Amino acid sequence: MRETRVHYQEELEALERSALGGLDLVVQTLDRTIEAVEHQDVELAELVIADDDRIDGRYLEIHQAILTLLATQAPVATDLRLISALLHVMKCMERMGDQCVNIGKLIPIAGHEPPADAGMLRDIVTMGKHARTLITQCKRAFADRDVDLARDLVRQDDVIDNLNREVFRLALEIGDSHDAREWAMTMMLVARAMERIGDNAVDIGEQVAFVVTGLFREFEDASHPGEVSEPSPQQSS
Amino acid sequence: MSEEFDPRTERTRLAVAGARSATMAALRDRPTGEAVRSRIFQALIMFAVSVALLGLAALLIDAFVEGEGSLSLNLLTEPTSRDADNAGFRTAILGSLWLIGGVILLVVPLGVGAAIYLEEYANRERWWNRIIELNIQNLAGVPSIVYGILGLAFIVRGPLDLGFVLAAGSMTLGLLVLPTVIIAAREAIRAVPPSIREGSLALGATQWQTVRRQVLPAAVPGILTGVILAISRAFGEAAPLLLLGAATFITADPSDPFSGDFTALPVLIYEEAKQAQPELRELAAAGIIVMLVVLLAMNSFAIWLRNRYEQKW
Amino acid sequence: MTEQERRTEAQRAGSEGDRRGLSQAIAVEQERPSKGLKRETLFELEDVAVLYDGNPAVREITFDVFKNQITALIGPSGCGKSTLIRCFNRMNDLIPSATVEGKILYHGEDLYGPKVDPVQARKLIGMVFQKPNPFPKSIYDNIAFGPRTLGMKGDMDEIVERALRRGALWDEVKDRLGDNAYGMSGGQQQRLCIARCIAVEPDVILMDEPCSALDPISTGKIEDLMMEIKDDYSIVIVTHNMQQAARVSDMTAFLIVELDASEKNRTGRIVEYDETEKIFTNPSDSRTEDYVTGKVG
Repeated sequence: MRETRVHYQEELEALERSALGGLDLVVQTLDRTIEAVEHQDVELAELVIADDDRIDGRYLEIHQAILTLLATQAPVATDLRLISALLHVMKCMERMGDQCVNIGKLIPIAGHEPPADAGMLRDIVTMGKHARTLITQCKRAFADRDVDLARDLVRQDDVIDNLNREVFRLALEIGDSHDAREWAMTMMLVARAMERIGDNAVDIGEQVAFVVTGLFREFEDASHPGEVSEPSPQQSS
Repeated sequence: MSEEFDPRTERTRLAVAGARSATMAALRDRPTGEAVRSRIFQALIMFAVSVALLGLAALLIDAFVEGEGSLSLNLLTEPTSRDADNAGFRTAILGSLWLIGGVILLVVPLGVGAAIYLEEYANRERWWNRIIELNIQNLAGVPSIVYGILGLAFIVRGPLDLGFVLAAGSMTLGLLVLPTVIIAAREAIRAVPPSIREGSLALGATQWQTVRRQVLPAAVPGILTGVILAISRAFGEAAPLLLLGAATFITADPSDPFSGDFTALPVLIYEEAKQAQPELRELAAAGIIVMLVVLLAMNSFAIWLRNRYEQKW
Repeated sequence: MTEQERRTEAQRAGSEGDRRGLSQAIAVEQERPSKGLKRETLFELEDVAVLYDGNPAVREITFDVFKNQITALIGPSGCGKSTLIRCFNRMNDLIPSATVEGKILYHGEDLYGPKVDPVQARKLIGMVFQKPNPFPKSIYDNIAFGPRTLGMKGDMDEIVERALRRGALWDEVKDRLGDNAYGMSGGQQQRLCIARCIAVEPDVILMDEPCSALDPISTGKIEDLMMEIKDDYSIVIVTHNMQQAARVSDMTAFLIVELDASEKNRTGRIVEYDETEKIFTNPSDSRTEDYVTGKVG
């Protein structure tokens, strides 16, 4: 059948590409953050902080484009859900960027001395790398509209959550040294920021399910921990 | 103060002038062949119109010149008489008016009724309806003398056997002009947009209610036009009336349509034009003028009536 | 968990302000099949088809229209929406080549039954057409025509005023009721037609693309009017304008046109019929999706 509203479709596709491209920016930022943490590199941390403007800029740009599209094209059905999802995705992207900034701000506080606990540091770096994987995975899930891949994000996020608990345990046993305690608490905050990044990636996965099924469901139900809920049967093209 | 020669303004001016003249050239000229053909066509149309007007003018002038001498108000008041000086057209005028009155009484209900049936109720698919339609178109073109014979055979004599009376004349003339009225009424009814009918029916009106309260009132101007045409034609017909026994020199005013002799204006004019005496022929010409005046008066009234009810869609 | 239990839990979870609880509430909302309103059936259509000279223009139409709702029929050109809506007030009877098959129940009674007089049916089921069609009479006579013709009792002035008030036209015309209706603007004329329809106090008002000949302001006024009179009348509207269907209607039926095997005949059928909200946020059928998003015209 003859395609209509070609211009509108192209606009929509470009919007999605640009939004998902924002996630690439986050990955870049996260890579630098992980490196800064690993090597306690204050200069790199400052770069991360300064560079957050790029992510914020992308957020504003997409936000404006979405408003314009809503006003001029009146999208409905899947297009509408897509637009709504992209808004959520952008918010998650922006938060992830802010978490990286938070980490960057914490690094100078951690000090220039060698780390008090190499294990904690290793765990945190591992968390960071997992979070990176999560982001690339959620981006692919969104682009491919792959609900199963999106649901798999929960499993990956569990790894990060477990590592976070491990970091907490290690911090508890850090000892009596004032400096060590200061370092440990700072690093716990860093770990928490990493954990938040992971959660944001899972949120993006939930948006994938919303676009495809039209239902907004939490992948993990707080009142039924451990269960991953099934969406009701939906027919889609 | 010397003007500085600024090449930019000069160039601009030249450019503007060039552009303007090109635009004007494009706007002004039509291809010459086209223009000439338009003019020739216009000239031909004017010629056709002038011929028609000239013919009419010639007729009027001729009648006027011929009859001018006899024109006086007596023509309207005096009855027919062999005495040219005292003769008038009163009897004939009244006779014509009575005839026309009868025609209207017959033709309006029958004609409008037939038109309503054909447009609103008849199923076009049925063969008898198509035959009826075809016949009406044909009947409109039948020569009037044939109607005269019809009237003579079936109304004056034959089954109705009314004799040579005014009513017979009315009926015959009525039949003559009925197709015209039906055709005009049908056009008028057809011109009422179907959306009006749909709107009325959608409110819960029956078809008859729709016809009576919406379609007919809206079709009145067109129907009146048809009736005007019909009357004008009937007014001027002499041939059928001759066959139906319209007398020529009667002096009594008409009083009863079913008995007694009658006459009509065109018949009288025909008789007088045939006479030997030049005064009577002059009278005939005057009669033509009278007839035209009466026709004009009747038509004007009818047109005024129609304009009052004109609808703008 | 029963519907009731789920709802109470969702309410409780929502009031805790817990983010996860809130989204659970959202999930519960979206699973409900209907808004939980008690809906009365107005028309029941079962396997309805309309044929012109034996060729079906629409077929296999089965759905219910509910009372005091606005039901929209949308779909591409030629899908038979107008043909279908004209079945509801037996206007297809006026077309000799048209036959209506299948069952149409109106308040439980067979609308095409032998005892039903179509003229009576049209008093209860009124219609407004695409192009405004006021009668060539005064504004007053336009409104009064219906009541007079149908022999309605009562003070005609009052009836006219009431109809014009309900039709959101009274203030604009109260000083010129004697003026010819043709002097009004297109939007006013259409509101006059709606008021004319209201004057005979129908049960249902059918609207066949009532705004397609009007400018956006008039369209907006008529849409507002529709929302106002919804409580007293049930409305079925055919519209080409999807945004209009989305704005005003409660239920939407989406029809498509199919070519038959010989590629000569076009027949319409219903693809999806559901709450408007669902049709425009999450339609079940991909053809509906393609149509409402404008990807297929």
